[in-house]
Amino acid sequence: MPKPKLLWPVAIILAQTLAWADGGAVQLREEAGPFVITVFTAPAPLSAGPVDISLLLQNRNGLEPVLDASVSLILRDPSGAEIPARLTREQAQNKLLYAAPVTLAKSGKWQLDITILKNGERTSAKGTIDVAPAPEMTASYWSYIAFPPFTIMAFVVRERLIRRRKKG
Amino acid sequence: MDPVAEAVLASWTLDLKLVCLLLAVAALYLRGWLCLRIELPRTYTTGKLIVFAGGLFTVLVALASPVDVFGGLLLEAHMIQHLLLIMLAPPLLLLGQPVLPLFRGLPRWVFKDALGPFLGWRELKQIGRAMVHPVVSWFALAAAIIVWHLPRLYELGLHSQAWHRAEHACFFWAAVAFWWPVIGVWPSHPAWPRWAMIPYLVAADLVNTGLSAVLCFSDHVIYSSYQLAPRLWGISALDDQSAAGAIMWVPGSIVFLVPAVILGMRALEPGRASIIRPLPRVKNPRVLPKVPWDLLRTPILGPIFRYRYFRRCVQAAMLLLAAAIVFDGFFGPQVAPMNLAGVLPWTHWRGLAVIALLMAGNLFCMACPFTLPRDLARKFAPPRYRWPRQLRSKWIAAGLLAAYLWAYEAFSLWDSPRSTAWIILGYFIAALAVDSVFKGASFCKYVCPIGQFHFVHALVSPLQVKVREPAVCGSCRTHDCIRGNHRQRGCELNLFQPKKLGNFDCTFCLDCVQACPQQNVGILRVLPGASLREDRPSSGIGRLNRRPDVAAIVLILVFGAFVNAAGMTEPVMLWMHQWHSRLGLSSMVPLVTALYAAGLLIVPTMLVAACGWFSLRWSQTNSAWKELTCSFALTLVPVGFAMWLAHFSNHLVAGWSTAIPVFERFFSQVSSGTFPQASFPQAWMPSWLPSLELIFLDLGLLLTLYAAWRVAHRFADGERMALTVVSPWAALACALFAAGFWIVFQPMQMRGMMMMH
Repeated sequence: MPKPKLLWPVAIILAQTLAWADGGAVQLREEAGPFVITVFTAPAPLSAGPVDISLLLQNRNGLEPVLDASVSLILRDPSGAEIPARLTREQAQNKLLYAAPVTLAKSGKWQLDITILKNGERTSAKGTIDVAPAPEMTASYWSYIAFPPFTIMAFVVRERLIRRRKKG
Repeated sequence: MDPVAEAVLASWTLDLKLVCLLLAVAALYLRGWLCLRIELPRTYTTGKLIVFAGGLFTVLVALASPVDVFGGLLLEAHMIQHLLLIMLAPPLLLLGQPVLPLFRGLPRWVFKDALGPFLGWRELKQIGRAMVHPVVSWFALAAAIIVWHLPRLYELGLHSQAWHRAEHACFFWAAVAFWWPVIGVWPSHPAWPRWAMIPYLVAADLVNTGLSAVLCFSDHVIYSSYQLAPRLWGISALDDQSAAGAIMWVPGSIVFLVPAVILGMRALEPGRASIIRPLPRVKNPRVLPKVPWDLLRTPILGPIFRYRYFRRCVQAAMLLLAAAIVFDGFFGPQVAPMNLAGVLPWTHWRGLAVIALLMAGNLFCMACPFTLPRDLARKFAPPRYRWPRQLRSKWIAAGLLAAYLWAYEAFSLWDSPRSTAWIILGYFIAALAVDSVFKGASFCKYVCPIGQFHFVHALVSPLQVKVREPAVCGSCRTHDCIRGNHRQRGCELNLFQPKKLGNFDCTFCLDCVQACPQQNVGILRVLPGASLREDRPSSGIGRLNRRPDVAAIVLILVFGAFVNAAGMTEPVMLWMHQWHSRLGLSSMVPLVTALYAAGLLIVPTMLVAACGWFSLRWSQTNSAWKELTCSFALTLVPVGFAMWLAHFSNHLVAGWSTAIPVFERFFSQVSSGTFPQASFPQAWMPSWLPSLELIFLDLGLLLTLYAAWRVAHRFADGERMALTVVSPWAALACALFAAGFWIVFQPMQMRGMMMMH
């Protein structure tokens, strides 16, 4: 008869995929024109490669989220090369934010030029973000390397248990 | 609705992995519950199903709803998330008495063979029992709550996704252990009397209350991240913290105290002192049917596959498609990404064929268009001769297979629609010519290299054309499955169903299914790769593990998978070009020929010969080198198939959409003669694609190692000797796996899409 306690190994494996994270780190907070602008980036810590940039726009009075603006961004890498991006609420998980996926090719200090258009009025903000070197690609897939040895170990244990049961 | 409220409610983060996991658990529980509902109707009620589903839904809400999305901005949202994971989801899941339904929901072989030995492991049982002992589980939950709310660790969770996951996992599993003795999950032996659960719950509430009070009454913001986070709707960080404390305090206390009150009331009722009762014994347990799952007996697909003209319909459709490809290859634009011949065979057909092999079986041969014209021709001029006895082996096919793989790279067939059209046309002519002269499916069995690809890889497919009840065949005297009858021909590949093992040489033509008067042949589920370790003769094939021609085909396919995939990676291409310029060659063909001669013939032969030699020498067995080497060569099929899967699925996923503009152009050109402006399709490289490819490689390696381990037992006495015999082959499989891992992460030439990935 199966014993309930033996769910634990399964439970530990399931736990690896059960939990997941929420938003990124605050990179910039600035009052510009009638707005308060907060820029988030994910992953944290920020590193070269595909990243998610999101922006919360609030009214300076009352800090109500502003949802009907047009937000664009220019990212400038250390050598001066530019990446334009249009941030939209559709691309954001948190629908109070404007977001866009961007690929940062290099590490170093990147310049941010934010432009907000609302009711024909333009508001700008600037900032910098520090981008760490890209992590080793294989390092982020370590679990796929670890999976076969882990399974082999479980198999070895299983074989020993079967042998022990036969002897017993 | 207010747009801000609408935006908040729309902020869900439905992660595919999480949803799939919850659906899989729900499906397992449901499957087990449906069995148990018949056996134990009073225990496994609809209420149990509902509370378990409610528990899963609570997990989904905690991890994917706006509660999760706003957790980084508002402490109160984060606190609700933790409450759901600690105080609502675990008790709901446990109230569903999940142990038995989840085990019963598992496939029989997983439960019996994979989990079975662990379920009887004494030490593991002791650990499990200790984990749900009230003292341990109480301290585990208290420690999890207190430690993770220390500012430094809480901040760690807010700044690192991995730590955040660890935090949630700690809360969830500690809570499962905590609620286990309270609910009395079956089958468990209560370590304490039921009344002891009342102080257990009250004491847990005291911890919760203490922590809540700290949050509520603190005069400063404890977690600095919330101080820095933008304040929504003007709620200050301190007010947010107090609200979070109140949420933790009031609903948290209710969740702890209400069960304590219920337990107290029950304890006072006479005759209810012991609430955990053993489940009643099942008088007539529902024995699962021994007949494996049969595709031909499924509700929708079954009648379709059983339809007598089903194969002909599919072949006719494929024939039309082949005709369109050949036409476009000859007369369309000679730019591969814009031509049917440059896209459909190399991007779509190959990918779909390997996925069909993985999910079902040799469906390509079932739908093969090449044999349709020859079947029509045979109506008018039946063949007279039998295939020459001396050529009844796979050596011709092995040579053609190696030549085909070499020609693909040497002449960039993927980049030449006209060459592709010639190959397809040549295939039709060859099938027609061979089978017009020789009886049976001689072309399929002895010549077709594509057929050999599918025969070999169908050895790891989960479905097999197989006898349903062997006893029925025992009383059969007509043997229609191989001889045929007045309305249906028998197996053209000489596979006598009662003596057939595995899928090798089986084209899934279903002639035997149609011919059997007892309807005793089905497409049954089998254990993938089981036939790789067989040592019995199979009808029409003999012993696979004693045939060097089969071993040669296997090795060409296994090493070909890696050489073929490596050939499109940037480092290998650069290396080839460097040697090309260094040697001053006018063409790449000599270099490709050298690479393929080494990669498909010389290196595999040397490696396999060396592995066989070491196996024999180290183990000091008396077995024949040929038999040992052929047996182990077969076990390499899964790792080679995994590489083909990774390679072709990469092309298929990245270039799936390329078929649409190509068909548009083709139909426009055929119907009106106009050539619309070419728009080269964009490759789509989803972030999950490398993970999928690595999963294929992992599973391929494990299946190879398992098959090799089982084969080693045939050549060795005892575990130690088996380990010695298998070690060179395991090392070879691991080396191939490492090569595959390296290939997956290289920049690749996206053939048929004119771009590098």
